[in-house]
Amino acid sequence: MKQQTIQLAIRRPRIIYALMILLTVLLGGQIARISIDTDPENMLSAHQPERVFHNLVEERFGLHDAIVVGLVNKTDPAGIYNVASLSALHQLSGKILTLEGVVESDVMSLAVADNITQAQNGALRFEWMMKEAPVTAGQVQRVAQMVARLPLLTNTLVSADGKAAAIYVPITSKDLSYPLSIEINTLAESLGADGDAWYITGLPVAEDTFGVEMFIQMGISAPLAGLMIFLLLWFFFRSVRLIIAPMVVAMVTIFATMGVMIGLGFTVHIMSSMIPIFLMPIAIVDSVHIMSEFTDDYAPGKDPKAVISGVVEQLFTPMLFTSLTSATGFASLLLTPIPPVQVFGAVVACGILLAFVLTILFIPAYVVRMPVASLEKLGKQPVTDEIDTPLAKFLRRGGSFAFANGKLIAVLTLLVFAAGVAGVMQIQINDNPVRWFKQDHRIRLADRVLNEHFAGTYDAFFVLEYENSAAISKFRQQAEALLTREELTAGSAGLQALINAAAVDPGGYYGRIIAAADDALFAARDDTALALEALLEITESYQLAAKYFQRPDSLAMIEGLQQALMDSGRVGKTNALPDVVKVVNRELHTGDEEHYRVPHTVPAVAETLLQFQSSHRPQDLWHMVTPDLQSTAIWVQLTSGDNQDMSRVMDSLDKYLIENPLPAGVTARWAGKTFINVVWQRTMVAGMLKSLLGAFIVVLLMMALLFRSVLFGLLAMLPLSATILTVYGLIGWTGKYYDMPVAVLSSLTLGLSVDFAIHFIQRMRSLYEQTGSFAETARLIFEAPSRAITRNAIVIALGFTPLLLAPLLPYVTVGVFMASIMVISGVATLVLLPAMLSLSRAVLFRSSGKVR
Amino acid sequence: MKPLLIALGFAVSGLVYGQVLTDGDEIVAQANLAAYYAGKDSRSEARMIIIDARGREQRRQFTVLRRNLEAGGDQQFLVSFSRPSDVRGTVYLVNKHVGRDDDRWLYLPGLDLVKRISAGDERTSFVGAHYFYEDVSGRGPAEDTHELIATTDQHYVLKHVPKNPAQVEFVSYVTWIDRQTFLANRIEYTNTSGKLYRRVEALETREIDGYPTVVSSRTSDLTNGGYTDMRFRYIAYDLGMPAAVFTQRSLRNPPRQWLKRPDAE
Repeated sequence: MKQQTIQLAIRRPRIIYALMILLTVLLGGQIARISIDTDPENMLSAHQPERVFHNLVEERFGLHDAIVVGLVNKTDPAGIYNVASLSALHQLSGKILTLEGVVESDVMSLAVADNITQAQNGALRFEWMMKEAPVTAGQVQRVAQMVARLPLLTNTLVSADGKAAAIYVPITSKDLSYPLSIEINTLAESLGADGDAWYITGLPVAEDTFGVEMFIQMGISAPLAGLMIFLLLWFFFRSVRLIIAPMVVAMVTIFATMGVMIGLGFTVHIMSSMIPIFLMPIAIVDSVHIMSEFTDDYAPGKDPKAVISGVVEQLFTPMLFTSLTSATGFASLLLTPIPPVQVFGAVVACGILLAFVLTILFIPAYVVRMPVASLEKLGKQPVTDEIDTPLAKFLRRGGSFAFANGKLIAVLTLLVFAAGVAGVMQIQINDNPVRWFKQDHRIRLADRVLNEHFAGTYDAFFVLEYENSAAISKFRQQAEALLTREELTAGSAGLQALINAAAVDPGGYYGRIIAAADDALFAARDDTALALEALLEITESYQLAAKYFQRPDSLAMIEGLQQALMDSGRVGKTNALPDVVKVVNRELHTGDEEHYRVPHTVPAVAETLLQFQSSHRPQDLWHMVTPDLQSTAIWVQLTSGDNQDMSRVMDSLDKYLIENPLPAGVTARWAGKTFINVVWQRTMVAGMLKSLLGAFIVVLLMMALLFRSVLFGLLAMLPLSATILTVYGLIGWTGKYYDMPVAVLSSLTLGLSVDFAIHFIQRMRSLYEQTGSFAETARLIFEAPSRAITRNAIVIALGFTPLLLAPLLPYVTVGVFMASIMVISGVATLVLLPAMLSLSRAVLFRSSGKVR
Repeated sequence: MKPLLIALGFAVSGLVYGQVLTDGDEIVAQANLAAYYAGKDSRSEARMIIIDARGREQRRQFTVLRRNLEAGGDQQFLVSFSRPSDVRGTVYLVNKHVGRDDDRWLYLPGLDLVKRISAGDERTSFVGAHYFYEDVSGRGPAEDTHELIATTDQHYVLKHVPKNPAQVEFVSYVTWIDRQTFLANRIEYTNTSGKLYRRVEALETREIDGYPTVVSSRTSDLTNGGYTDMRFRYIAYDLGMPAAVFTQRSLRNPPRQWLKRPDAE
């Protein structure tokens, strides 16, 4: 089978070429059907309870993702409270309202804010805060005074210090946030006074912008890495003709794999956009092994077919196993319950196996078709053992050192392991999509500036729900009892139907019964009228009881929660129903602070809510409470979108709720983008640990199987363990956050860092088989096999340095990881393995020598 | 002048029957009388069903007493809420003036508070409905310029442009006024973006005590969805209500005699 495959490639190269072209055209062609998805919410399955609830909350309270536009004036002592700045704000608001995709009625800005206040004679007055841009300093003053009286606006629409103003722009669909933010930015540029600066941020903008830039990076970083690798290969092999081969393998692998994924209908998510970047090194590694050995073995006069088939035959098993282990590393991502991560893992795993097949077929086919002249040029380099490059000399010296100093190296390794474990223990788990941009990115800048001034551009919602299912059935019982009374039986079919109807919307349910009973009452006489009046009375009392969140005690409970949220120290501000009630109550009375409180009776609260609805923006109320008053949302503004901060808020509120349990019938849950990010990160971290452990065990089993020896298997896991512990230990020590990219890279680390060990051990054993001498084996392993490993490590490590220039941090992270994995696992393989092999040679090479 | 349909009353002068009018101002004057000035006084019970874009329902029930001081001129309104029960007893008293700001008072029994309501602009929501305060009491015909843009078999179609655009949220609106009754059957509002965003329409018109009356109407939010249906019943005209009914005294002591629903025959 192995032989047949190699022979097919050597004898029928044209078939292989045709196959490659077919793959590229057929599968690569599917890429045209690409559909992009940049929403981190999709990190959660559509059925994930938290996500379902989050969507329900957005629907229930009419919440939309919002772009936050900030205006900061640094020069005017009064901040944005000057005629020019407010005019600019007013003008931009007006223009934003006309943009397609903006939810006009929910835009929040001074220009469309309603104000409740006292007119001269103490009359209640609803007026637009700033219907027209102010033209005099007096008008500006008045706006400033008004805003200061409205807690719902302070620190949300204007910063407490007056330096900054904001416009919240809700949008109909979050994939509009990037184009709209660009459009708004263009509109804003021409507006403003001296010292005015505009900033645009908000999670949807950050996420959508990330998506856009990520695809730009896919088109820049991946090709740049490819170019860099090409240059490095040229440096080592000095034959453009030869090194085209691995590039072709990489290209075809990437096109075919992406094509299959897209063709199967998967969207290209943040994760899967990284697939080319991941596949490239893996596709190239095997080719470099083959080419490295081939150029070392080949000499003019030798039959290239014989040399290449010998090389491929020798490398077949280790390459198969390195591919299988890498694939396992990625396939283990299927254990992480995050759909895009699963797709990513499965696709990369398939891509790796495809790369293996293509390498085995294409490289030999390509080499035998190379003109003799080109081959001769390669062969001019000296033959195997006499190679005298600095690299070769270095490796020889290093090798003999490693074989001779087993104990020292073992001790050092233990120290590294210990340091690694200590580092891993300190890992800080944290993520925030805004942090995916580099520090100087305009989104990071806007995020920083606006969150310095305001109560926070990150939203979460603490949602309370009241349910008393017993009430409905109790009501039905009582109503039935009345209806079956003689006086009412005639003509009560309509009422009966209403009472039996499903009470999905308690507000509507009781309301309809009341209306029908009231109508029936018009024509009713005597006892019938009395019975209907009784029915009306009980229905109204149940209706009133159902309006839970207008009870003064439940409003007090919400105020307690608001205070507890503030006490967490991570919350900039909360906005909730009691704030509305208090403001309206104050203005209905004298406007004095003493009346800034929740009134004591239910009708009094109901009246404040009815008056709020008599304003220009009655709809604002329904972002806080449902019309049936059975569910309410506390809008929590955070100045940081870090999952750590959101988690702390959640933990601190949990503690409060243990000491202050919610009343009977009330349940509470979190929603909002900032919260959703916490959910998927927690799922991801737990899932990744499972994936990593799962893959570790599977790879260990594969190693034991490959080497038919548990000891060799364990040995092969050493460089991998050293790499993982060192890389993640460093993350812990340096304090870099363990975020989404870092989590996903654990599978790459595991999959790639075992490769060199497999090659090393496999070659050790076959050399020992050939020579029968450990000393000779130890010498030979540091010739061609170690050079192949080192070349690979250098090519991949340096090849990904262009990623360090990307404006997106996940790309930088990948670049750093790739280099670290290569360097650490290369060193671990070439230093640790010989050391351990020499220490345990008595056991390991006693029986295995000459046996196979 | 100009109309806003709905209405708490209406009427048509028999004199113009059969004639085809060509003057926008005159049509609007007639429409204003038809919609808001029917009879010397009137009593009706309104029930509003407010349906939001998500299909959720709220109801309001109130009784409206109206008395004209002069046809097409000053009027008095007393609006008393009976449902939902938590705002029962809330009363609005309005002295509508032509050519100057109305006087408005509010009584809130739960807070035990009589509050004057500042004139301000009248395009605020009427207790959470899609109707504006101004839809209920009538927009002064003098506040807009009127242009007859079409005359169909059934309707006069007029376009109205506000004289003071800063006070309103629309740029213009178009009304379809029934040529027989002079009741507006439909009003459509256009905003600054040139978008049709709001519609008021008569759903049912009946003749009561000789006055054509819109008994059912709907106002729709065309941007976000959602609408309010308003239905008037137990309507009676020319009851001879005394001026005393419309004094501040009635805020705390509602005139039960006139608010009470008449007995069914």
